[in-house]
Amino acid sequence: MRALAAALLLPLLWLMPTAAQAHIASNGFLVMQVQGQSVSGSIELAVRDVELAVGADANHDGRITWGELRAAEPRLRQYLARNLSLAAQGAACAIDFGPMQINQRVDGNYAWLRLHAHCPTDVQRLVLGYSVLRDIDPSHRGLLTLSAGTVTQTAVLGGSDATTILAIDRASRWRTLVEYLQVGIWHIWSGIDHLLFLLSLLLPAVLLRRHGHWEPVERVRPAFISVLKVVTAFTLAHSITLTLAALELVRLPSRLTESVIAASIVIAALNNIFPLVTESRARIAFAFGLLHGFGFASVLTEMGLPSGARLLALVAFNLGIEAGQLAVVLAVMPVIYALRSAQVYRRALLPWGSAAIAGLALVWLLQRALLSSG
Amino acid sequence: MRCDTPVRVIPASRPRVLRGRLLCAALCTLTPITAAWAAPHLPASDAEVLAVLPPGAAHTSAPVRELARARLDVALPLAQFYIGQARATGDLRYLGYAEATLAPWQQRSPPLPAVLVLDATILQSRHAFDAALSQLDRALETQPDDAQAWLTRATVLRVLGRYDEATSSCERLAPAADADITSLCIESMRGLTGHLHAAYATIESLPQQLLSIEARAWRYSELGEMAERLGNDAQAEHWFREGLQLAPSDAYMRTACADLLLREARSADAIRLLSGYESMEPMLLRIVIAQRLQRSADAQQSQALLAGAFAIEQQRGDAVHRREQARFLLDIEQRPQAALEAAQQNWQMQREPDDLLILLRAAQAAHRPDAAGPAVQFIRQHGIEDVRLEPYIGEHP
Repeated sequence: MRALAAALLLPLLWLMPTAAQAHIASNGFLVMQVQGQSVSGSIELAVRDVELAVGADANHDGRITWGELRAAEPRLRQYLARNLSLAAQGAACAIDFGPMQINQRVDGNYAWLRLHAHCPTDVQRLVLGYSVLRDIDPSHRGLLTLSAGTVTQTAVLGGSDATTILAIDRASRWRTLVEYLQVGIWHIWSGIDHLLFLLSLLLPAVLLRRHGHWEPVERVRPAFISVLKVVTAFTLAHSITLTLAALELVRLPSRLTESVIAASIVIAALNNIFPLVTESRARIAFAFGLLHGFGFASVLTEMGLPSGARLLALVAFNLGIEAGQLAVVLAVMPVIYALRSAQVYRRALLPWGSAAIAGLALVWLLQRALLSSG
Repeated sequence: MRCDTPVRVIPASRPRVLRGRLLCAALCTLTPITAAWAAPHLPASDAEVLAVLPPGAAHTSAPVRELARARLDVALPLAQFYIGQARATGDLRYLGYAEATLAPWQQRSPPLPAVLVLDATILQSRHAFDAALSQLDRALETQPDDAQAWLTRATVLRVLGRYDEATSSCERLAPAADADITSLCIESMRGLTGHLHAAYATIESLPQQLLSIEARAWRYSELGEMAERLGNDAQAEHWFREGLQLAPSDAYMRTACADLLLREARSADAIRLLSGYESMEPMLLRIVIAQRLQRSADAQQSQALLAGAFAIEQQRGDAVHRREQARFLLDIEQRPQAALEAAQQNWQMQREPDDLLILLRAAQAAHRPDAAGPAVQFIRQHGIEDVRLEPYIGEHP
């Protein structure tokens, strides 16, 4: 043993302080979504780790080609089937793997396989067994992102724990509803472009265009009907496109929608100064509302709809937008109704307010159409 | 209010429930990270090379690994080879291979000191310092004059800032190891505890011809660091460059030299020094800093790579690169509060001059003089001399 110690002392290589200079350790990446009895998602292993686990470098040249990896795919599937298990409350789920693809990550190429598991019962407690590379590289870990309903959790699989048990905390439908309702309300309040568009259409609602002049309406009823038409048309239109876009049935480039939304504000505001459309502003509201719907949807596509409650979340989000919009209408209408007979409203507030809105929107339009990289 | 760049969020990090302004903030900062990842795809041709295997990472090594289960005289050199590879390439996977190689030999009774020492080295490389110390103590119980164990123990204790114990460990080297190695070990501790000038002179006078190549590289590394702490950067650079000639794979020395160059704003020299080492996070960190100094177009991509690697480490719960992460947050992302948190976590693990420096810098940038307190106290308690630290401790009472 004495000789051994001396032999070890010779290469003093690792004796320096903080010898730990390193690239990331070995990781498998797992993404799973739980829905009822099914678990679906993907699993990824570094190509280099696939080689270590099942061998892929058929010609031993130290380079793994796509052809070699494909030839190793059946072995990889068997290996994964042996080293990854899922069970719902102790009852094993049957896992299927989809065809292999390649995914590039920060430390190289990964073999990527879609996975789908069917469990005998609804998953409430997911028991994961993960022993990939355990005997060759005990520092390998499986990094799992698991979602159920609107709740996402992460876990580190492997290591000294052969199994990991995750409680599936499905967000209640009520929580989803409140969550998306709030996002909807917040979005209309923060989305000043939507508000300015609506405002531009509402400002003249307390007036009537007669012989080239604005005159105040005499009673509440015509003003109320005019507002109702505009708001309903706007709502109807943006609900249609919001739904289409959120369900990914239709997609428009964001630069286009953002630019047209800005343009819609310019047009609606200018229409108050140089009135072309006076009696049927609801049509403007509808036509441009279609585009504003795509704008609303961009928030949802960034957030993602919860897999278990897509429709609920969509409806809640839309209701949130309507609620926020209604609050604006209810706040603005009494004020401008009270002001409708004043000269200052017709001569100053309406034209200059509209001009200011048009100017601001024009700046946005130029920014979004010309400068924006998105 | 709008994210102006297209956002591609990989499934693994897709935020499901986010609200309001935070949403945009989060997604906008995610963009550079996720941009480095593409979606799964099918390669165009069977001939496309997907991975190049480093030594020891081939399935064909399986028979050797099998042999190592049965024979200690195969297991030990193999584990040592893997540890050497980890150190030379910065590839953490090798530490795992070494661990697996030693695993069947871990449970022997009486314990095998050589196995325990190698395991301690693996643990030390992962910054599991306490676990490393306990393995070393077990090894020394069985074999009290194991020089390698004492030397590794001294190194770990030094990183922990336990200089008295480290010096005692150095002294225990004497019977088994070369007198010059013992001296190098002891003087390196003295250099951190109020005797920097004297220690520097002693190490400089060590007859380097008599030392092994590794010990000579170690000597250069100590001299370089000491010269740097004395404020003599030109001399420090000379030592580092000499040392790197002997031990080009010494990542610690290479990053130290790069830091010195960066401090002098010699970004082109730093990039030249680090080129070819991009896969190691501490190297990549310095490359990003240099590229940003040069306003290079490559900076963004390197930064995204680094951020991606840090994000994965964070998810794993690894703390190996906490010091680098703190510096990344401070110097690149310019988030002093987050940098301070990382620097404080790092300080809980390791206490080298570089750890002091990042803690003091982050505390100052975050306007949190109180957070610098433990570092300042540590410096005064041990009499650490380092011109790099001076600007940050002046105002402390």
